[in-house]
Amino acid sequence: MNSHLQSRRISAVWQQGMARRRFLKLGLFGVAGVAAVAAGGFALLRRSPLDDQPVPPWATGLSAAEFHLFERARQALLPVTGTALVHSDKVPVVQNVQQTLSYLDPVTRKELGTGLGLFDNAAVFSHGCRFVDLDDAQACEFFDRWGEGSVIQRTLATVIKQLVYSAYWQEEATWAPVEFDGPVSDRWGLPYLGNAPMPESPNMASTLSEGDNA
Amino acid sequence: MSEVKWQASGLKVHEASDVTESHLELQADVVVVGSGAGGAVAAYELARKGKKVIVLEAGPYVPSQDFTEKFTNSLETLYQDHGGQTNSSGDLLVLQGACVGGSTVVNGCVCFRTPDFILEDWQRDFGLDELTRDELAPYFDEVEKNLSVHDNGPHEIARHGWLIRAGANKLGWSVKPLKRNIRECGLTGHCLSGCKTERKQSMLVTYLPWAVAHGAKIYADTRVERILAEGGEATGVEAVITRHDGSQAATLRVTAPRVVLAAGAVQSPILLLKSGLANRSDMVGRNFACHPSLLVAARYPEPVHPWRGALLGVYVDEFEHPDKGGFVLEDGGFGLVEMSMLAEPGSGAPFMDYMANAKYLAGLVTLIHDHNVGRIEWDGEKKKIDYQLSDMDFPSMQRAIKAAARLHLASGATEVYVPASDKRVIRNEGDIDREVGGLENLPQHLRMVSYHPQGTCRMGADPEQSVVKANGETHDVRGLYVADASLLPTSIIVNPQITVYALATRIARHMA
Repeated sequence: MNSHLQSRRISAVWQQGMARRRFLKLGLFGVAGVAAVAAGGFALLRRSPLDDQPVPPWATGLSAAEFHLFERARQALLPVTGTALVHSDKVPVVQNVQQTLSYLDPVTRKELGTGLGLFDNAAVFSHGCRFVDLDDAQACEFFDRWGEGSVIQRTLATVIKQLVYSAYWQEEATWAPVEFDGPVSDRWGLPYLGNAPMPESPNMASTLSEGDNA
Repeated sequence: MSEVKWQASGLKVHEASDVTESHLELQADVVVVGSGAGGAVAAYELARKGKKVIVLEAGPYVPSQDFTEKFTNSLETLYQDHGGQTNSSGDLLVLQGACVGGSTVVNGCVCFRTPDFILEDWQRDFGLDELTRDELAPYFDEVEKNLSVHDNGPHEIARHGWLIRAGANKLGWSVKPLKRNIRECGLTGHCLSGCKTERKQSMLVTYLPWAVAHGAKIYADTRVERILAEGGEATGVEAVITRHDGSQAATLRVTAPRVVLAAGAVQSPILLLKSGLANRSDMVGRNFACHPSLLVAARYPEPVHPWRGALLGVYVDEFEHPDKGGFVLEDGGFGLVEMSMLAEPGSGAPFMDYMANAKYLAGLVTLIHDHNVGRIEWDGEKKKIDYQLSDMDFPSMQRAIKAAARLHLASGATEVYVPASDKRVIRNEGDIDREVGGLENLPQHLRMVSYHPQGTCRMGADPEQSVVKANGETHDVRGLYVADASLLPTSIIVNPQITVYALATRIARHMA
């Protein structure tokens, strides 16, 4: 299915259930219903070999399907072959994604989880398998198509990519190959200037004195 | 008047960890809600006039020495909603400080006075006859002096700023050094993570310690839940003090005949809506504007290292007046995390190639004069920022992106990345109309950020069309004042911190 047709189909399915701007504002049930409809033409929640794979013990804030989705996204979105960049399996990308998601309020977190499920399952339309089972090239193409698609497609593609990107580049280990300096004040020995002096005031009928630090 | 006790460093703040009782009752002449640009200035001005002032801040107190200069960490610890505050459709990140000192702790230090043509609009359209250039000039003079506001010197213009300035000169566009509130800038480029060595003249190192020197008390971790009023007069506030693990430490009630609301343009209207106050006009929460901005990045043939040097150096004001476009361009530095979020060169290898060449990138920030089309709402459980770039403003945004692209190309860039959800790269003038003209005003198409929410409790002479008077007092509740960017009846195009400082000073002087 070409990207335009895919986009129209997903948009149409989506709009059966909700107005576009209400995405991430609806309850789990509504979004789950649309996800089910979106996947329904091909068998609901097509199985993946990864479904039987264990997840690491630290991944308590992600469902197994979410863990595998972000692992697949990490591998596809952060290739380093032929560069001096640090391989993404050397930094805690998915752990950092989990940390970021922990700041979401429970309602939004649930809705996002359902959106991630839609992203994973919607690959069945174009590739006959879930996103987690695409190879790297197919996964990148899938992201690019969704970046050009409907509102919901752009939203999910952007959210997943930005979660993965920031999770990788926030790690100090990734900085040296691109000459990013990171924190510098302590390294440079910059002195602390403290509080600014009190403003001069013609009405101030009192003396200034230096008190104890807080 | 009691003795003034100024501290050379640090700030005396009551935190949740200090609380030993389950309920606190306090009394004051004035309770100030919020410790950012408006709240800190109001607190100082009133305290120095002998008023007993209590400042309540929902966010934590984070001393400068604890700033990490790591952007992701800073988002989590210093920003509203851990840096995740967005509009309803999620395509506009609304960045606000949520710590003692508010957004002044994490802003880029840029200082502009309110443009004259904006003041003229306010006089003509909102009956704010007294807010003239001459009336406000002494307030601007004073806050600029207090905060060490000055034109960037040559050493405060980073490599990216020099490139942009040369490009603007080549095009014949007006370009000027930015003014910033900073002392002896350390040139770290980490403004958005807070200034670790206390050079940025944020409220954390200026008006708040000055207010405390005059006896003001500051309570962090303290979220005001309701403003109290009886018989049309303010009587105080109710608040909850929350530990950093999310548990409740205590409830708090402050009895005060005057309340200054300065929690910012998102939180202030929510508090009024929760309290059911000052909304005869039904304007509370309406008229939200935010200067939706884009960071347009471009690749240059020589290394730029956009994270090195002062974050913001120069700006192009050629198109500032609405008749000329209604936008400004500011050269802007950035780090790797910000860089990873602003362009879409293509997934996988193209993206990693873009990032591998990060040191060759430079950025331009676009700020537009958006219309007040948004609304802040409270549904009883959650806030809602209902804002989409309007069809009226989309052409301005396109003009700003086109101008940024032209400026980058004139400055020597070889590739300009349109900050959209799909891949749009400009390599020459001929590409500009196609790549920018092809943008659609749809949710999630542009990657927008707002640093300047405003307008949700707007000033005006007509009580049926506005929330507060020109002196900051609400039309409906005597003794209840607003002193933050909620006041601004229209967006002002430029960075608003100096406008807020000046208006808060004026409001507090009227109160005293």
